[in-house]
Amino acid sequence: MSARKQLVATDRAALMLQLVPYLIGKGEVSIAEAADEFDVTPDQMRAMVETLTVIGLPGDGGYWQMANDLFDIDWDLLDERDIIVITNSVGLERTPKLTAREAAALLTGLQLARAIPGVGDTELFAGLLAKLSRGASSTPADVILAPGPVDAVRDAVAEALRTGVAVSFTYKAPDADPTTRTVDPVKVLIATGEWYLQGWCHLREAMRTFHLDRVSDLSLTDIPIEHGEEPVPEWFETGGGDIVARIRFPVSVAPLLGDYLDRATVETVDGVCTATMRVADPNSLRRLAARRAGAVEILEPESARRAAASWAEAGLVQYR
Amino acid sequence: MPANSPVKNPPEERLVNLVVALVATEQGLTKDTILTSVSGYREQSEAGASKDALEKMFERDKEALRRLGVPIETIGDWADPDDLREARYRVPTAEYELPEDIVFTPAELALLNLAGGVWSESSMSAEARSGLRKIRALGIAVDEPIIGYSPRISLREPSFAALQQAIEQSRVVTFPYLKPGEAAPRTRRVQPLALVEYGGRWHVFGVDLAAAADRTFLLSRIVDDVSITRDTFDPALREGAGERALSGLDDVAARHHALLEVNPGTEAALRLSRRALPADQGIRLPYVDVHVLADELASYGPEVRVVEPDELREQVIARLEAAHAAHGGVA
Repeated sequence: MSARKQLVATDRAALMLQLVPYLIGKGEVSIAEAADEFDVTPDQMRAMVETLTVIGLPGDGGYWQMANDLFDIDWDLLDERDIIVITNSVGLERTPKLTAREAAALLTGLQLARAIPGVGDTELFAGLLAKLSRGASSTPADVILAPGPVDAVRDAVAEALRTGVAVSFTYKAPDADPTTRTVDPVKVLIATGEWYLQGWCHLREAMRTFHLDRVSDLSLTDIPIEHGEEPVPEWFETGGGDIVARIRFPVSVAPLLGDYLDRATVETVDGVCTATMRVADPNSLRRLAARRAGAVEILEPESARRAAASWAEAGLVQYR
Repeated sequence: MPANSPVKNPPEERLVNLVVALVATEQGLTKDTILTSVSGYREQSEAGASKDALEKMFERDKEALRRLGVPIETIGDWADPDDLREARYRVPTAEYELPEDIVFTPAELALLNLAGGVWSESSMSAEARSGLRKIRALGIAVDEPIIGYSPRISLREPSFAALQQAIEQSRVVTFPYLKPGEAAPRTRRVQPLALVEYGGRWHVFGVDLAAAADRTFLLSRIVDDVSITRDTFDPALREGAGERALSGLDDVAARHHALLEVNPGTEAALRLSRRALPADQGIRLPYVDVHVLADELASYGPEVRVVEPDELREQVIARLEAAHAAHGGVA
């Protein structure tokens, strides 16, 4: 499922506190399913379940606990069929409250989900916010996302996704001429207020990603989508292009370059980073160079280096 | 190590045993009872571990459990609340368990599943999954998943986690903050109240103690670790802080407008016009931070020209000149 991190003792304790209500709720569950639910390996899950059987109520006056004062499981089912069943429980049956941080993570996610047209109404969101706040063991930190602008293009894309028809629009990529596209919408990616449409482009006959800010004159067609099942590109696909570019910048600038470095090899010497990456159009790096006021220097290819200089020069001419 | 070195049970066993014991007791357990009867402490007590060491272990465990959201209550001496020698400890069930009357509908759970998936790779992703797991353990049916959308929040700023922790604990923080145009960072001392993403950037809103006023800081300008101090502040300050921060940023944007001429059909026109209002001469764009806007406008090169304000125009020109010089352009 997701990357499994190294667990420390308190992480394992937190998981075990959640494990009991989960297992009781399930009644009977396989090691594999439980491991998946808890983002641990099957071996880690087995170890947690085995640990559970030495947990129980305090012994009396220094004596060891009685058997029924401890959690117990059906060992035969575990050993022979990898199935977990709790046969004796001594507490913790009800799900614990959310921690402040768990609640905050969900509350903030809800603010983003709320921007999606047609997903839940105001009442549903308000109800959820109240439940999560009340279900937290202490007040979550306010983590707020400013709402983005309302936009007819976004609404129309949502409508096309819902009804399963292709959309047609004008697309203007940076440093390219506008083109007219017909696209079977498959997925909308939303990141830092920007919306991207992924879909099957009839012109390119392949899956493509379109920044919705660059889309205009969008209309719904009556063509039912045919390529909705094709695999969509990964989030901001890596690979990029055929041309190798190299840029140099102080290490302090690296956090500001985010997406660019996701697909780069970076070497750092004495606080200066050199990043090598593949790009489709190296001239597009001139925008990055201007944004970072020369703190990002394009080393290769030479044509991109010249493009950066003339891009800045063309900007400056306007002010002379 | 002495020959009778105590058997070491894994610490998670001891922690969970402690929770079971503290939830099971109504009137609370004294520290002595805990150290001699709860498994994990008991074995070490019997093996002759010093009382001092065991008490320290208990204190650490209490802290660890509180961080996990387990509400450990201390019932002191009625006559002398500061005297903790006879204090009793318990976990009130009502505060530990998710209240029985909180139930989630299948539609709500589908929405929560979508909301929980927004945190790409940050530690918040694990928090969201853990929260969802607790809710799913209630055994609620879920609607069909909401497909067709993949919302993401990216969190590259290393200061976020420390600031969030400080807000939760209502503790003052200090951090080195580098304002553009200043040669060196200055240390700020702040009561942090809320974290806000605005215009695609993370900010921390709080009270700057040197200025004794509300301030908003860009996380990307915090140039080194955030330290959480021992000084606390009144948690009531946090109430409604997120809304205050948002409206504060909106107010700033309402006061600052740039007048821009934009070449039609360019990237600049597409990206800027949706955030701007038409003006007699070009477009009028509200903004919060002149440096952040100058970064963006410089990237558009010849696609946009700043008419006013002067400060913004100079900032853009300075960026273009620097980029020009760095790439072998002749000044």
